[in-house]
Amino acid sequence: MPIEGIFSNTIELLGKSIDLRAKNHNHISANLANAETPNYIPATLSFEGELRDALKSNKSANPGKKAVSHPRHIPLKGQANSLASVEGRIVETPAPGIGRDGNAVELEQEMGKLAANQIMYNASVQIIGKKFEGLKSAIKGQ
Amino acid sequence: MDFFTSMDISSSALTAERTRMNLISSNIANANSTRTQEGGPYKRKDAVFASTAPAAASFKSALQSAARKNSAGVEVIEVVEDPNPPRLQYDPSHPDADAQGYVAYPNVNVVEEMADMIAATRAYEANITASQAAKSMAMKTLEISR
Repeated sequence: MPIEGIFSNTIELLGKSIDLRAKNHNHISANLANAETPNYIPATLSFEGELRDALKSNKSANPGKKAVSHPRHIPLKGQANSLASVEGRIVETPAPGIGRDGNAVELEQEMGKLAANQIMYNASVQIIGKKFEGLKSAIKGQ
Repeated sequence: MDFFTSMDISSSALTAERTRMNLISSNIANANSTRTQEGGPYKRKDAVFASTAPAAASFKSALQSAARKNSAGVEVIEVVEDPNPPRLQYDPSHPDADAQGYVAYPNVNVVEEMADMIAATRAYEANITASQAAKSMAMKTLEISR
């Protein structure tokens, strides 16, 4: 039985999700740090769509085969090659009312994003923990 | 995993906000100082914030930060003096009064300073929260294999 059989996509997907959320946390921290810097435009990492597309193409492709037939082929737009190649896009998210100093950070919005990102991160960590717990109890036969 | 980057970013902001808080304290403390070492009344001071990209180790990383791939911290690049004229108040008995009996008091508005102080406090708290979030996320990660 191949090792993907036990872990399937779950571990890779959740790991990627944790990684990207940690990166997103950096961006949100930077937005908060620059909440009063003139001419600063906040940015966040957007990866949900890309991750979903990667998951779809992973499922549709035969297991053990890559989505593209040649390693140097460039995948079609919106169709990421594999979960591992998902990196997300940095999108600028200026608040609707830019202040007189050109700063576009809205503190409430950033705090909301911070909380949401943290909750999603914790959720991914918890699910990955449960997955390992399930595997462990299957191994022990309890 | 680069939680430490996130913590560095947050702490750069804490330092900057604290510098700002020191300037605000100095402005309030000297709201009535008519004499300074440079001569004349005290002038209101303000911090100028600028975002900094983390130190670029290579050409590639410099290029990436130029393309806004890296998130940036913040620093106080300059402390500027408020160019507004001093507040003139009629007080002929004051030793620093001019020929017309007016004393030049600092251009500090205490109410404005208090509002600035609240803003600096809130910004400080927001960055503390971000730093705590990074810490709790890192601790949560350690629970995976438990």
